[in-house]
Amino acid sequence: MKILIIEDEPSLNKSMVDYLTAQQYLVEAVSSYPEALEKIECYRYDCIVLDLGLPGGNGLQLLQELKVNQKTDGVIIISARNELDDKITGLQLGADDYLTKPFHLPELSVRIASIIRRKNMQGNNTISFEKIQLEVAAKTVFINGKEIVFTKKEYDLLLYFLINKNRVLGKSAIAEHLWGDDMDLADNYDFIYTHIKNLRKKLIQAGADDYIHSVYGMGYKFSSL
Amino acid sequence: MKLLAKYNRVNIIATIGIFITGSIAFYFVLRHILVRQLDQSLESEQQEIVQYTQQFNKLPAVIQTNDQQVYFNETTTIPFHRKFYSLYKFNPIEKHNELFRDLRFSITANQHSYEVIVSKSQTGTQDLLRLIILVTIGMIALILLIGFFINRTILSRIWKPFYQTIDKIKTYHLSSQQPLQLEPTSIDEFSLLNENISGMTERSQREYKSLKAFTANAAHEMQTPLAVIRTKLDMLMQHENLLASQAQPVQEMEQAVYKLSRLYHSLLLLTKIENQQFELNETVQMDKVIMYKLEELTEIADAKKITTRIKLSPVTIVFHQQLAEILTVNLLNNAIRYNNENGILAIELNDSTFTIANTSDLPALDDKKVFQRFYRHNDTKQEGNGLGLSIVKQICDLAGYRLAYGYQDGLHTIVIFFNSGS
Repeated sequence: MKILIIEDEPSLNKSMVDYLTAQQYLVEAVSSYPEALEKIECYRYDCIVLDLGLPGGNGLQLLQELKVNQKTDGVIIISARNELDDKITGLQLGADDYLTKPFHLPELSVRIASIIRRKNMQGNNTISFEKIQLEVAAKTVFINGKEIVFTKKEYDLLLYFLINKNRVLGKSAIAEHLWGDDMDLADNYDFIYTHIKNLRKKLIQAGADDYIHSVYGMGYKFSSL
Repeated sequence: MKLLAKYNRVNIIATIGIFITGSIAFYFVLRHILVRQLDQSLESEQQEIVQYTQQFNKLPAVIQTNDQQVYFNETTTIPFHRKFYSLYKFNPIEKHNELFRDLRFSITANQHSYEVIVSKSQTGTQDLLRLIILVTIGMIALILLIGFFINRTILSRIWKPFYQTIDKIKTYHLSSQQPLQLEPTSIDEFSLLNENISGMTERSQREYKSLKAFTANAAHEMQTPLAVIRTKLDMLMQHENLLASQAQPVQEMEQAVYKLSRLYHSLLLLTKIENQQFELNETVQMDKVIMYKLEELTEIADAKKITTRIKLSPVTIVFHQQLAEILTVNLLNNAIRYNNENGILAIELNDSTFTIANTSDLPALDDKKVFQRFYRHNDTKQEGNGLGLSIVKQICDLAGYRLAYGYQDGLHTIVIFFNSGS
């Protein structure tokens, strides 16, 4: 899976490259409009991470280029501007998703995975991990071949964990993923714990191992260890 | 006191004073002239009598008329100086007492000394004086009356632009995008006033705009560094051996970034609402929005064992979906966050109001400050950026809803009146 990151802030660019590379993606990165244009014209990517404010041009123009050239690369916009107009224009120009800065890397990863799945209709729509099979299209989960019913939040949480397996996920990242960013949750992460506890119980009851590990009280990690 | 009333009071007092003084002076001058005239005619009568006596050495025969009588009394006194005087006496013809002007002088005829009194009625003069005074009083009354009407009509018309300007200023908000439009006026003073007020508001608006732009830009510029910090923290978290010793500071940094980013979202939202970037033209089913948001927050409410009392009627309003959600979430968030363990959350929605009430450890809040930005009660222990309710206020202002806070029986209550008039 090839990903192109277009972001002019070198430090942010590097973080994304590092995180996504560790997720087994093939990641390329550029930091200006002309470089991005060159890459887009020459290669095909499964997903492009696009910052709108770029030196040498606006990210939205790149979207237009893609459209004109009838490229079907998935695009996720990352922007400091949480402007509805930009969002709408971006999505109209063919972007698949929109993420506002500052975002969490696991969130970016989940969004990218979702875009790639959608673009790859004929491809594999099942995410497997040890004894778990998650059917993305049907939103169903099988453990040891038996379907287990999860609540919406539990399902979202499981998918989030599966995409970001073997990574330590902070509580605030999980909270923002589950409740979105119009909820102010700064002082209370207890209810995340409730969901994690329930998910964990269901997984173990269905015969899976205990994959969810608490990491020094600051977050969780989903791994077979 | 109104300028007009004050001016009128001084003006009327001065007018009456001048008229009274004028009338008194006029009365005396006129009276003096009229009496002089009467005296002159008495004098000419005296001359005639004296002439006649000298010529014929006998007293003239007299005919008593209505307004002139002549009396001769023989006297032994030596000739005396003539004398004018006024007195009331009986008028034999008119048969009643009236004021007469007398001239008394001595005359000698036929070796006899006579005292002659020529008497003329002063009533005509009196009548004339009375008439003049009446006319004067009438004039005063007329002037006051006309003055009153002039003030009522013309002056209030003249002052109209002034009150129009005041009304415009009263309803003017710097945050509105329009410049202050003042009616042109033909009166120099008011033109000057309007000109300067317009100039001042324009300057203030410019400064306000640049301040707002600064806030928005500052918030924007903060986002990329914040994104850097957040993603670096996400990366840092992957080093579990580091977390073994540094989990606490990493988590605290996470929290700080979270708060900063929320603060940015709130400030930007406020700016956007102020800039009227939302068009309120969507039909929103408020009851559905409330139910949906309440469901999302159930876990948080349950964690605090909060009892919810919900009474929602189906209500559809013309509003903005996103704003309705933000409004609801902010109110619910507050009502849950500042609630106490085993507390109460009461929500009621009907056609005219949306009421949300909650228990809390906090005492009654200052209803003048509760919707101000960054207002937090001193005893507040919970986190929160202090912008939640000011966002609610801003949204209500935009939509023309009235917002009220009250505290009764341990319940903090916030009411939104969809009809600002009620």
